[in-house]
Amino acid sequence: MKIYKKQGDTIQIICPPEEFVQKGDYLLIEDKKLRKGLIVQVVDIQFANLPGILEDILRDVMTEDSVQGCDYDPFRVSSQIEVLKDTRLLVCKIRGAIDDGRPRQDASWLPSRTASSIVPYPIERLASTKDGRRPVTLGRTRSDILTVDVKMLDGKLNIITGKKGVGKSHLSKLLVLSLVKNGAPCLILDINGEYVNIGRGKRNEPNPVAERIFVLTPGQNLRFSLAGVGLRAFLDTMIYALDLPRTSSKVFSRIWSELERSGNLNLNALNETIRRFGCHESVREAIYSRFNTLLDLELFTDDPSQAFDFSFFEKRMSEGSAFIINMKDEHSISRRLIVELFISKLTEQLSEMKLRAVFLFAEEAHFYLRETYWDDIVTRMRHLGVFTTFITNQPDTVQESVYRQADNIFMFNFTNEHDLDAVSKVAKIDAESLRLIVKDLPVHNCLVVGDIVRNFPVVVNVEPLNVQTMGQTRQFFQD
Amino acid sequence: MEDSKTTLLPDFLLDLSSESMRTINGGSFEPRELSTAEISLEEEIDEDPAINLKDTPMLSKPTPIPATLGNCSVVAVDVSSIRVGESEQGLLYSLRGALVWREGSSYNFTRCGPLTFHVNDAIARSLNKRSYAKEDLTYSAWSPMTERVLARLRNTLERWMQKIACSRFSKGIVLLDGSLTAGTPDNPTVYVEELLNRARENSNVVIAFSKETRLCYSGKRITRLLDEADPPCILDIDRLIAPQFPSTPVRLMGRVYVAKLAQISFPFRVDIDRQLPEESGIAAVGRLINSDLVEQGYPETLRLAHILSTFTANEVLAIQRHLSIEYGVRLAPRFSFRRSLFGPFGTSTEAS
Repeated sequence: MKIYKKQGDTIQIICPPEEFVQKGDYLLIEDKKLRKGLIVQVVDIQFANLPGILEDILRDVMTEDSVQGCDYDPFRVSSQIEVLKDTRLLVCKIRGAIDDGRPRQDASWLPSRTASSIVPYPIERLASTKDGRRPVTLGRTRSDILTVDVKMLDGKLNIITGKKGVGKSHLSKLLVLSLVKNGAPCLILDINGEYVNIGRGKRNEPNPVAERIFVLTPGQNLRFSLAGVGLRAFLDTMIYALDLPRTSSKVFSRIWSELERSGNLNLNALNETIRRFGCHESVREAIYSRFNTLLDLELFTDDPSQAFDFSFFEKRMSEGSAFIINMKDEHSISRRLIVELFISKLTEQLSEMKLRAVFLFAEEAHFYLRETYWDDIVTRMRHLGVFTTFITNQPDTVQESVYRQADNIFMFNFTNEHDLDAVSKVAKIDAESLRLIVKDLPVHNCLVVGDIVRNFPVVVNVEPLNVQTMGQTRQFFQD
Repeated sequence: MEDSKTTLLPDFLLDLSSESMRTINGGSFEPRELSTAEISLEEEIDEDPAINLKDTPMLSKPTPIPATLGNCSVVAVDVSSIRVGESEQGLLYSLRGALVWREGSSYNFTRCGPLTFHVNDAIARSLNKRSYAKEDLTYSAWSPMTERVLARLRNTLERWMQKIACSRFSKGIVLLDGSLTAGTPDNPTVYVEELLNRARENSNVVIAFSKETRLCYSGKRITRLLDEADPPCILDIDRLIAPQFPSTPVRLMGRVYVAKLAQISFPFRVDIDRQLPEESGIAAVGRLINSDLVEQGYPETLRLAHILSTFTANEVLAIQRHLSIEYGVRLAPRFSFRRSLFGPFGTSTEAS
């Protein structure tokens, strides 16, 4: 291989056909005289534009079907013609350098065009954190296993994105299990019921963290008591999930406080009090209609034995557990309501330091997350200790600020230009590399960018996982 | 044809190629520079001045080519040469020949080469030893002799392949690129005579098509004589040409015509074996029209032979790579005084 051209941070390399190079691979351009090396990543593979290649191919096209024949080439020159026809041009991006054996992120020099050697470079040497205290194997690169430290997710904002059926949830489950294994608290907003069997292997056997995984299904084992939720969380839910006007919310606060003072805070009493409370008819109607919606969803109960115990939640989360809120088949209002309630409660617990932090995994968050939460998650909630991982196949539904602030991005295949436009707003990698690599990623392969790989973008074939597959689309034809 | 493809290249040319290339072993060589914008790599030999034919009112009218029934085999031969670089002792040229034949409605080909030659004094001496011509070649780099040596090498391969075409096919038409004029030191009569004899023995008719002609009549190229004519037609201009070569060794082995073979087509100079009766020759052109595609007035078989033998820039690069691997030649740009003195202003387009 030889350097052909450099422009900006792009280096073009001429590569003979016998060298097997794929998009995402790393190469080391080593200048032995300078004792330096340039680390570059292949972002595109093209055919070298050699003189006369068009004529060659035109002739092949013109004659391949209509003219049959053979070549007598006594000196076997034609093998060289084939080599030249298949010679490739590798478009590479400079990712760093090695200076006297030490890696650096910047490279402000150029290696020799003639004297440099170009060899494949195992990027795991720089990107992995094998020596970390909480190692997790993300998968395999082309050269080796990529092991990272799950600590790299701590305090971070992450995105897992890619089109349907490429392995997003699989990676997400891998991260959840690794976090739980290392004693981290996780809350999973599971819109498709994909995580419900995360504690069980493919043969239904429990895995080592099975006892620390709790699946909450609304209406079944997830119902709330008014006292358990508290006024603040309840009111937030009424305002944000059910659009209760501000004036009405003030009246509702008064009703709640009165009942709380009299020790009579239950659903029936609340219902009755709303109906007879002395306020403007329109305010009463606004509160009553929303309260009835809540009742209809059967998410609240006065029976303490049936009500979700937030202190239990606190305790288990502090020990390192995963709570999965299974929102499969739930009505959109119900989803928004549950999420609002949980996030509000979570914020409360984190503010009061009852919880240190929570790793929140939000699948297709646009279905249940209100507009104002996006910025909140990136800023305020992050400081409180909510470290979110968004998982989506609709990248344009995630706000641009999230892409810009994301610390780690796991990108699976996208072919649609509109989707690529959305994900290319990520700040940790240039848009050109991202587009070129992501477009051609095979299933289960993802481009990992960010702190978790020490800012060396790496293509990883995600580690297989012994977890029961759920969330597959129901089909009519069974064969 | 495939079984006998090794005979398509004469052993002595293979040996000559190997021997000449051994003389460059391990030396340095300046590869021909190629650019993606280059349109043609063909070695254009400077055109000689036009030959003006004597104006005569006796010029006959074009003869319509009679329609014929039945098909015959059509076989065509073309050879291309290309300069691939330059050593300190000489130039490096490659040759490649293509033999294309049409049987029924299918086209087939056998392509031979490339053969690369280090054109220097040694190769000139080897050619002199084999030559039927009286004139000896003495090579010196960058002399007009280079073209002569190359022409002789190319002619040797071309005539050899043409002879094979005339021998292996029967009752067909053998198409050649160029004319049936011979008798120059680099194009000896003996080769043309031999191939025409072989053709006649096998009941083949040899027809040569010239893409370019220097012959002029009344101040115009002879091909313009058929501007107004209805195709397919042929015009005998042989009697105008013969007086041009009264006492030279050059011999017109073919009867010379201008032919326009199809509607919306170019007229070409066409030479047909002189020893055939005139009517048989014209009938053979009719058979050609019936047996091959003649888009733009040029036979498809001959067009394919040209396409298959021509070198592309990519192939020149491949040959250069082959030379560096096989003969250990070092690719080194030639020192240029012009570049050295004038830098970027020492362009090749500047007048010397």
